[in-house]
This record gives sequence, structure tokens and C-alpha cells, in this order.
Amino acid sequence: MNAIQLMIDALSLGSQYALVALGIGLIFGVMRMINFAQGDLIMLGAYALVVPTTADLAPPLIGKLPAVALIITVITITAGAGIVTERFAFRPLRRREADGATLLISSFAVGYLLQSIVLFVHTGRPKSVSIFADLTRQLELGGVRVAMIDIVTICVTALLLTAMVVFLRRLRWGIEMRAATEDFTMARILGVRADAVIALAFAIAGALAGILSLLYVAKTGVLDFRMGVPLAIAGFVGTVIGGMGSLVGAVLGGLFLGVASSLLQALLPEVLRPGRDAFLYGLVIFVLLVRPQGLFAGRNVGERT
Amino acid sequence: MKRFLEPRILPAGGLIPMLVLVCVIVHAAGNQLIEGSLTEALVYMVMVVGLSIFVSNSGIISFGHVSFALVGAYASAWQTCCPGLRGVFMPGLPQILLDTNVPVMPAALAAALLATAVAAVAGIAITRLNAVAASIALLSLLFVVKTIYENWTSVTAGQGSLAGLPLYVGLWTALAWATGAIIAAQLYMNSAHGLRLRAIREEYAAARAAGIVVWRERMIGLVVSAFVFAIGGILFGHYLGTLAVSIYWLDMTFLTLAMLVVGGMRSLTGAVTGTLAVSAVREFLRAFERGFTVSGNTIQIPQGSQEIVLALALLLILVFRPQGIVGDYELGVPPPR
Amino acid sequence: MLVEVEDLEVRYGSVPAVRNVSFHVAEGEIVCFIGANGAGKSTTMLALAGVLHPTRGDIRIESRSVVGLAPEDITRLGIALVPEGRRIFGGLTVRENLIVASGIRGGITRQRSTLELIFELFPILHQRFDSRAGNLSGGEQQQLAIARALLTRPRLLIVDEPSLGLAPKFVELVYQIFAHLRSNGTTLLLVEQSMRRALSLADRVYLLKSGSMVLHGKAAELAERDDLEHIYFGGMAAP
Repeated sequence: MNAIQLMIDALSLGSQYALVALGIGLIFGVMRMINFAQGDLIMLGAYALVVPTTADLAPPLIGKLPAVALIITVITITAGAGIVTERFAFRPLRRREADGATLLISSFAVGYLLQSIVLFVHTGRPKSVSIFADLTRQLELGGVRVAMIDIVTICVTALLLTAMVVFLRRLRWGIEMRAATEDFTMARILGVRADAVIALAFAIAGALAGILSLLYVAKTGVLDFRMGVPLAIAGFVGTVIGGMGSLVGAVLGGLFLGVASSLLQALLPEVLRPGRDAFLYGLVIFVLLVRPQGLFAGRNVGERT
Repeated sequence: MKRFLEPRILPAGGLIPMLVLVCVIVHAAGNQLIEGSLTEALVYMVMVVGLSIFVSNSGIISFGHVSFALVGAYASAWQTCCPGLRGVFMPGLPQILLDTNVPVMPAALAAALLATAVAAVAGIAITRLNAVAASIALLSLLFVVKTIYENWTSVTAGQGSLAGLPLYVGLWTALAWATGAIIAAQLYMNSAHGLRLRAIREEYAAARAAGIVVWRERMIGLVVSAFVFAIGGILFGHYLGTLAVSIYWLDMTFLTLAMLVVGGMRSLTGAVTGTLAVSAVREFLRAFERGFTVSGNTIQIPQGSQEIVLALALLLILVFRPQGIVGDYELGVPPPR
Repeated sequence: MLVEVEDLEVRYGSVPAVRNVSFHVAEGEIVCFIGANGAGKSTTMLALAGVLHPTRGDIRIESRSVVGLAPEDITRLGIALVPEGRRIFGGLTVRENLIVASGIRGGITRQRSTLELIFELFPILHQRFDSRAGNLSGGEQQQLAIARALLTRPRLLIVDEPSLGLAPKFVELVYQIFAHLRSNGTTLLLVEQSMRRALSLADRVYLLKSGSMVLHGKAAELAERDDLEHIYFGGMAAP
């Protein structure tokens, strides 16, 4: 495999993981909870594309819509689902001042609930779905063939990250969210509404999940009720390695994980390849022990015991 | 003072006779299905009690205990599975394992010890972390171990299943092991180590000031807990007769954690109660999923309802009664002033 | 009566940090809470701001009970707390810190006059407007913390330990600002360890010890008493 192809592959995977990590990082920032359900929101967005049916063959539902309508609808669904999970599962827990451990379990439970519902409606058999068929083409780039979907993934991610930066730096809500991430109580003392800023974080994270679900399905074409799990794990690992409580850290952590994963896969000798994942997951423990604020976090990240 | 110094036999002393009674009644009733479900529930009980040894005493949630079950189950399989065919499924095993057929009991104990060793090694890192970081690290441990076992095809049959484990887990075997687990939990709870771990949980700063070595107590708790949980995992494998890495993954993690949380994260009584309660509900729903006829009408709920109900139940408990069914209550132990 | 607190009890876990505390603050006053470390002063202020929930007692703002309200709602009722340790958002710039505080009154563009006041009182903040707040000195951060609180247009400004960790010249500056604010009509509730400072500025003083109110009265009267140090310290030298 050629260096350019490898780079594109690595960046594409890194982009996906960066997006999941960003979603997890946003919620962790304002709630100090790792939302395992983020991966299942991605899965939900993907399944929204087809008609709910237990049959093996699922005819497209939202998948039938023209591109722009499709994108907007899926994003709305996943953002809405995120807000619903916040309102009905996590907010009541917050009201009771649930501790970090309870929140962790509950996010696990929410994810499991989403999986169970989809399993119930669609059965456990994987289904195939085709959207944005054009993107499966290959492009010639500097004499090398690369998949269009990978380029699109990278570009979309870059755009989204730019949009996030603008939001967080220039818009008052974004600035309030950064403040809340740094010192939630102080932000409240200054008048920032806790419920609003958390709901907003969930909405954005949900929207990110929707976009990622489209990119993912466009690339793989397969629906499986467990498809969110590896993504959530990647997002989780990326966030911890990059730096919990730091959005920059989470994004870089996800990016690093995806790129490292791809490169190791391509460059390691056959024999060592299976150890690649184990090594990367093991990095989490290493980071927690040696540099708990994360590898890429900024200066101001504190850790709550 | 006297009450404090007396060796405590409760709650184990209350829970065990109760379990024996339940088993006798169910066996006498003669329904194979229900007996099977009770057996499975007792196997889960070993796991959940094992989990509670660590979680209840330390206050640290563990998402990674299933990795110990995984290690234990396969280690038991390496010693006892598919005699004559072992080399076919797991060619990578050392010759001595391929040739020897270890009797199931010592095999189980040896396998659990291997899992305990894994826990000890991981514990070197984990016990030095604060509570939330430790939970995260334990989850990562699960990922690491699962990935290793999934890819170590020569000794685990990789992502495929391994059939041919000796089926020795019947109702009374499961009951015996569950009793053993409860006694072990009780002994640990009564011991100085259990006391110290709970002290760390309640008043971290004061415990340290009193000279308690935090990482050591957490390590001891983790290791004992891992042993018992691993036994549960081994029993599960020998109850099913088949192993697959995917069995020891997120579903089992969720189920055992749910059983503990629903019953009550802080007590042994909670662990036992939660396992029975959740198992009963699952059995109930399973019956509805199978469907039955009442005066000519078939009542049936669709497949997959079980998982939804379980997830909802867990969420409801977390929101409305986070201390679980029994809360801080421990059978036979007067509540703290 | 702007604020009335009656029989307040606040616990950390099972331990009461504050017990049977009652006091009031009238409009236009400067009231000071003094007491040694751990006396419960900060706990009381956090309860006033809605950050801690009392287990017993009542807190009333203009006769309306506010126990159980969220901090963001209490701020909207006109109570601004500058907590102990300043707690500025280090990763945000000075400008961004102020923007966060301006939210409840409609955003920073609607707060021109308050912003001008802030730049007048704290010229250094104007100079360092786009600097990262974490890079400011202790004294500058304290000014930022007070400026932030002012942007919420409080009727009662609570400042917890304004002089802690500050160089003397900054302490002077800060106290001059308090005097200025009072003359502009802001009611002030200050928490101080330094008795001297408290008595010099305040109208009335409350003395807290081990979570309970042990003494209160007009500053002028208390300044006359010989036994004040004895009650306060039980053995330490006055700062």
C-alpha cells in the first residue's frame, strides 16, 4: 500500500474517532460522565435510514430522501434522541446529585436500552443499506487511487471541527460551555443555566453522532445493532488518552487513536497485528497512571477525584 | 462492644439456609425449566457475590470483572475440555495441557487462580488510581483481555466457539459453589481487610491518617473478588458446555452489574437479592416470550422484550432507588446509628 | 430588608459546618463576617448563593424564601458571590470571563455602562482584555472576579476573603473599590479573617466560631471592646 493511501486511510479513521471522542468529550466536560450511549446514538442514526422491520431486507425509509433532507433528518433524529436521553435518564440523576460511578452505570444502561430497542425492532441480523452511492467511487489523487468517502470524511470532520472552534470561541453559548467545562459551579454562580448548557452539549453530541452515522454507513453499508460499540470504545479510549475534560485533548486523542490504529495495522508484521488493539486499550491504563490529565490536554485541566 | 467482637455469621448464616430451602422446593416441584433457571441464577450469584466483594467494600464500580471470568473459563477448558479433540480446537496449547485431563474441581480452582494472577497484575496499576479512574481502568482491562483472547486463536479458537466442556453444573453443584461464594464474602467482610477497605470507602482521609495502606487493601479486595468471580465464569462455561469469547463481554458485564445494583451495591444481601430478583424477572419474561395458552388464547410477548425490561429496570432503580432493593441493609445486622 | 437568614444549618455529609446561624443584611449596608479558618463563613456564603443546600433554616431575599433554588436563579434575584479563591476561568480570556457573567443581563453588548465602570475601577482589565485569565497575577484575578460579579448587576455583592493571598497594595485597591461601590448603592457582604480590616469598613460585624454565631453588633461598638481578640482567637496573634 502506498504512503498516500495509507495516510488517507489513517486520517479517515482518525477523523471518525475524533468525532466520537468530541461527542464524548463535550458531555464529559459539562457533566463529568463518559456517555457510552454516544456510540448507540450513531447506531440509531444509521437504523433511522431504513424502515423498522424484523425482515432481513430493510427497504430504505429516510435513506430514500434526497441528500440534504436526508442529512438534516438524521441529524435531527440523533440530536433529538440525545436530548431525550438527557431529559429522562441523566437529568433525574443529576437532580439527585448522583455520583460519578452511578452516572457511569446509567450511561451504560442507556446504551444497552437503545441497543435492546433496536434489537427488538430490527432483530440481530445485520442489514445492508446504501446511501450516497457516489461516494464509494475511487478518485485519482496524485497518481494514487483513494476512496472518495475517505476524503469526504476527512473534509467533513475538518469543517465540523472548525465550526466547533468558532462556536466555542465566538458564540456566547460556546464560551459559556467552555466556562462550564472548566468550573461548572462557578459558571452557575454567574448565571449560566445548568440544564440549558447540558442539554446543548447533548444536542451537539447527538448531531455529531448523526453525521458520523452517515459517514460510517456510506462507507460500510452495513447495519448491526452492535455497530456503535467499537466506536464508543474508540471514543472513550481517545478521550481518556487525549485528556478528559479537555475538548482539544479528546479530539486529538481520537485522531491519534485512529491514525495509530491504521498505521500499526499496515506496518506491523502479521504476527503482531492482533496485539495492536490490546496495546492501544492498554494505553488507557498507562495514561491514567502516568499522566491522568491526558497526553494532549491543555494546561487547565483538573481532575475530579 | 461485644457485638463488634463476635465473629459474624450473618448475613451468610441467614442467606444460605434460605437458598437451600428455595432449591429444595424447586427441585421437589419437578419442573425442569425452572430448575434450570435456578441453576443458572446460582451460577450468576457466584459472579455477583464475587463482584460485590470488591464493589460493596471498596465503593469502586468495576466494569472489568468479566475479564476474570473469561480467563478462568478458558483456563478450565484448557484442562478439561473435549478430551481427545483438544489439540484440534486449540493447537497452540502446551503439550502437557493437551495430554492431561484434570478433574473438574482442581481444574476450576487452578483456573480461578490464573484469573486471580491476572487481577493481581492489573491491580498493580488499578489500585493506585482514584475511584473513577479505577473504574475506567477496569473497563479498559476488559477490552484488553477480550481483544487478546479473541485474537489468540491457537489457544482459544478465536472468535469461534469451543464445544465439549464437561457439563458438571447441576442444581446442587451450583448451590454448593454459591454457598462457598457467600461464605467467602462473609469471611472477607468480617476480616480486618474487609473492615479496612470499608473504612477507605467511608472516610478516605481518616483511613489513610489511621495508617491504612489504600492500594494494598484495594488489591486484596480485588484479588479475592476476582477469584470468586472467575469461579462463577468457570461454572457458567461448564453449565453451557460451550465457550465463546463473546459470551464474556458486554452482555454479561451489564447483567451482573445490573443484578448487583438492583439488589443493592453496598451489601452481600443486596448481591444475593438482586441476582434472585433479576433472574426471576428474566424467567418470567422468558416464559412470556415462549408464550402460553390460557383458555384458547395465546399470550406472548415478542423476542427481545427481556433486554428492554432489564435496561429500563436498571435505569428506574438508578433514578428512584439508587441504593437498590435492600439499600444499606444487611440481613441480620442492625443498621448503623 | 434585603437578605434575612434564620437558623441556618449546613452539613457536609453528617457533619454540621454551620449551626443556628441567623443574620440579616439591609439595603445599602456593608456587613462583615469574621472568624478564623474553618469557622463556617464560606459555607454560609455558599448556602446564600444556592451552591450548598441547608438542612435546616431559611434564607429570604426581600421576604421571599429562596432555599432550594439553583445558584443561577439566585444570581438572577440579585445576589452575586465572589467565592473564596476567586475561581476565574483560567482557560478563558478576560473578555470571555466577562462575557460569561454578562449572560443573565442580556449579553455584553447591552452592558456598556457597567463595562465602562469596570474599566474605570480596574484599568488593568482593560489592558489585559484579551489575555488568558490564568496568566493574570493574583491581584488581577481578584479584580476580574469582582468585575465578573458586577456584570450580573447585583443588589448584594458577597465577597469571600477579598484579601487572601494578595499583595498589600492590591488589598488597598480592593477596599477602595468596596467603598466606591457602597457609595454607588451596592450592598456588600464581606467575609474576612482580618478583624482590623473588617472593623474599618463595615457597618455591622458578625463573628463566627466553629460554625456558630458568637457575637454581632455595630462595628463602631465592637471596636471598643477589649475582649474581642480573646473571643476570636483564643491564642493567635492578630494579622
